[in-house]
Amino acid sequence: MEDDTSSSLRRRRFLATGAAAAVGALAGCNGLPGGSGGGSGGSGSSGDGGGTLSLSSFRGSGPLVENRASLSGTRIADLPDLSGELTIYLGGGEGGLYRDLLAMFSQIYPDFTARPREGGTAQLANTIIEEGENTPADVFWAVDAGSLGAVDEAGMTVDLSGDVVESVPEEFHPTGRWVGTAGRARSVPYNTNALSAADIPDTVMDFPETDGLVESMGWGPTYGAFQAFVTAMRLIEGESATREWLQGMLDGGVTEYPDEFLTSNAVADGEINAGFANHYYALRVRSARSNAPLDLAFTSGDAGALINIAGAAVVQGTDQSELAQNFVRHLLTVEAQEFFATRTFAYPMIPGVPPVGGLPTIDELNPPSIDLQELANVEPTLQLMRDVGVL
Amino acid sequence: MSREDTGTRRAVDRLREAARSPTRDGSNRLVAGVAVLIAVTVISPLLWLFLRAAAVGPREALSILVAPSTLDVFVNSVALVASVTGLSVALGVPLAVLTVLSDLPFRRVWTVALSLPLVVPSYLGAFAFVSAFGPRGELAELLSPLGVTIPTVYGFQGATLVLGLFVYPYVFLTTRASLLSFDTEQLEAAQTLNHGFRSAFRRVVLPQIAPGMTAGALLVAFYALSDFGTPAIMHFDTFTRVIYVQYNNFGRGTASLLSIQLLAVTALVLFLESRLGDAGGDGYGGGVVGTDSPVASLGWAKLPALAFCALVVGLTLVIPVAIFGMWLLRSGPGYASGGIGFQWDFAINSVYVSVFAAVGTVLAALPIAYVSARSDSRIAQLLERSTYVGYAVPGIVLALALVFLGANYFPWLYQTLPLLVFAYIVRFLPQAVGSTRSSVIQVDAKLLGAARTLGETPRGAFRRVTLPLIAPGLVAGAALVFLTTMKELPATLILHPTGFTTLVTYIWRVQEAGYYGRAALPALVLVAVSALSMILLLRQEGDDA
Repeated sequence: MEDDTSSSLRRRRFLATGAAAAVGALAGCNGLPGGSGGGSGGSGSSGDGGGTLSLSSFRGSGPLVENRASLSGTRIADLPDLSGELTIYLGGGEGGLYRDLLAMFSQIYPDFTARPREGGTAQLANTIIEEGENTPADVFWAVDAGSLGAVDEAGMTVDLSGDVVESVPEEFHPTGRWVGTAGRARSVPYNTNALSAADIPDTVMDFPETDGLVESMGWGPTYGAFQAFVTAMRLIEGESATREWLQGMLDGGVTEYPDEFLTSNAVADGEINAGFANHYYALRVRSARSNAPLDLAFTSGDAGALINIAGAAVVQGTDQSELAQNFVRHLLTVEAQEFFATRTFAYPMIPGVPPVGGLPTIDELNPPSIDLQELANVEPTLQLMRDVGVL
Repeated sequence: MSREDTGTRRAVDRLREAARSPTRDGSNRLVAGVAVLIAVTVISPLLWLFLRAAAVGPREALSILVAPSTLDVFVNSVALVASVTGLSVALGVPLAVLTVLSDLPFRRVWTVALSLPLVVPSYLGAFAFVSAFGPRGELAELLSPLGVTIPTVYGFQGATLVLGLFVYPYVFLTTRASLLSFDTEQLEAAQTLNHGFRSAFRRVVLPQIAPGMTAGALLVAFYALSDFGTPAIMHFDTFTRVIYVQYNNFGRGTASLLSIQLLAVTALVLFLESRLGDAGGDGYGGGVVGTDSPVASLGWAKLPALAFCALVVGLTLVIPVAIFGMWLLRSGPGYASGGIGFQWDFAINSVYVSVFAAVGTVLAALPIAYVSARSDSRIAQLLERSTYVGYAVPGIVLALALVFLGANYFPWLYQTLPLLVFAYIVRFLPQAVGSTRSSVIQVDAKLLGAARTLGETPRGAFRRVTLPLIAPGLVAGAALVFLTTMKELPATLILHPTGFTTLVTYIWRVQEAGYYGRAALPALVLVAVSALSMILLLRQEGDDA
């Protein structure tokens, strides 16, 4: 991707916001931010003898990850050991990175074997539902709430114990039978050479009428996260308002991109001034090109501020319930949350671990109140988008 | 026929003299019984669809089936099947004639290159097309400064073009097989009798190759009906795409209803084809070994013919490989990577499971092909036709049916290689039945009678006479199944043994994560390994050039 962008000269301007600067230099970057929890980081060495791994082993690298604040929350060392074999149905996008985390758990606990089985989230949910009580799955770990919700509604999940979910805000474990492990927020990446944060409306419905954005916006309508965003708009604002919004954006000359990484990249290149994208794509661009004139804005309380999650559930019928619960608990430790925050640039689910890149914390964002499970109903959205001519 | 068979053939020719009519005995009935058993076994998993559809109330079911959107999808699917089949015939037949009957330069090279699009999975081919021709695609960017704009690749035309370009080799290969077993002396005779090549072709060649063309066209038609990747990438609504959408929304009942409707379309196409096919005679020529020595001189048409071949190869091979190569050279999205390193084991796993699928499918195809080639009864025809059902159904439907049956009734088989191989057999059986059947038809039944007269047991006659003669058909079927298994995605993803990663599940994994660059190497390996087996397939056509 870098080749086509190198011609752009504007991106040379230094980006002052976000990233390193905002988080400040609270804790240095030695990866052992002392403090709470004790224990786990102490012995440091990431040698192969099992036992402990330092927090910095879980942490990613790159410009966005420098100067992490001190973190708090349950640490791996506070939890009982993982021991035994777990079959984990691993749904969707971050599969490769999640495998890395599983490998780290196995390194810490030589007696623990994770058997990940990958597939599309909805496919794996359908698989669990068809398998019924005879499912080989112990844990379902998926990148979208709709799939978790479907498995839950089919009665294929068990109650998570209170101490597993207590550290996570309630909206990310609505039924108590699945829990969010990492979040992704809808956002508006904008080019800081062309616009300032004040130019971005606080309400997503205002975008078509905003003069500064005409002929200079981009989106990726074929991309699943964008369709989830339109689904949320349909649920919140109704069908006709959504239709008008889509039409308004089209009339305003919005540019189509194949996905949201490329949308964010085009914003950084100055091809367009702003776009619609999941928040982490802009961070990926900045991680590769730390000088990119790119920052993120968030709308408030509407579809544009949607936060969707990856989450985990213990599957009904597992004979490893204790181990499975303990495994989900491990996904919510400081170490695992730091892993998601710094390697996938996702929103951590526990308050003691801040997001990277100077992002507002999850409490500071104002996501719409919407049942995440309803986002699975994307078909009327596709119909609508096709009617308008967006798809 | 390959050269090794000529010895057998000569011996058999002598036997032919001594032959009387073939004896029918208990062994035929046994074979028929086995064939019925296989056909029932491969169809039975789909009964699951009715179980799931039954959960939808009758009124709701009716409203789904006659909803305007369902009718749109029905029309779209039928139109796509028709247009893709038409395009495949329009490409496959002339190319087959050019590479078999004409004096086109470098015919062997063209034959291999023109067959290779079959090995490019449609989800990669379509993706490469969008990357090249789509809005903001590589070629669009390249051409836009010159003021050239490329018409949109999305929608009906795009889906037709991409599917047609990547599946026409089914028609190309089956038509070639027919042409190769066609006695070119007949064509020469017709030409000497004052018919021009075109007229001689229409009157002599076409009737002979019609069954081969039809077999290829059927494979194309049902491929188009069941393919998910291309219509999805091209934004065109077909049954398969809507069925996937329903599964993604957890509308299993609706998905099952739509699948049953799709099966009805399948049955309709098979019925229509059987009415058309009746006129077409019974085979790929009368067992005469043809040659591919050229009989038609292209003359002035040589350059246009070469350009045509080059255009097809350019679109179907050069562009995807160039796009994969470009991905390989570029760095992907800038984020930490890990857990997804490519391992050569993935390629070995792909080949391993595909070999089992190929062998298993050919073994299952043999009795069905034998019975349907040897008998004109309705039951025999129905047997052969029934194998298309598993092929026409989207992979995800079959896979979920096997999830339900496997997990709940055969837990010792669930998520094992045997069940995965069984899924491949169900999906790809007609590819092997088709080529095996046509080679069985070519075996003169009198030869078997002769062998029996000379004291061979039925089994001995089969082993010593039939098997050597039909071997090329079996190998061709096996190679086709091997190729399609190599690139099969939905059933592999759902039914693979835990921890068993193949090239396609790996490609899926990295594409899901957005690492397109990392899909390039496995995609190129997939194409390369498949290309090798394609060369094997083509060798079976005969080395007598």
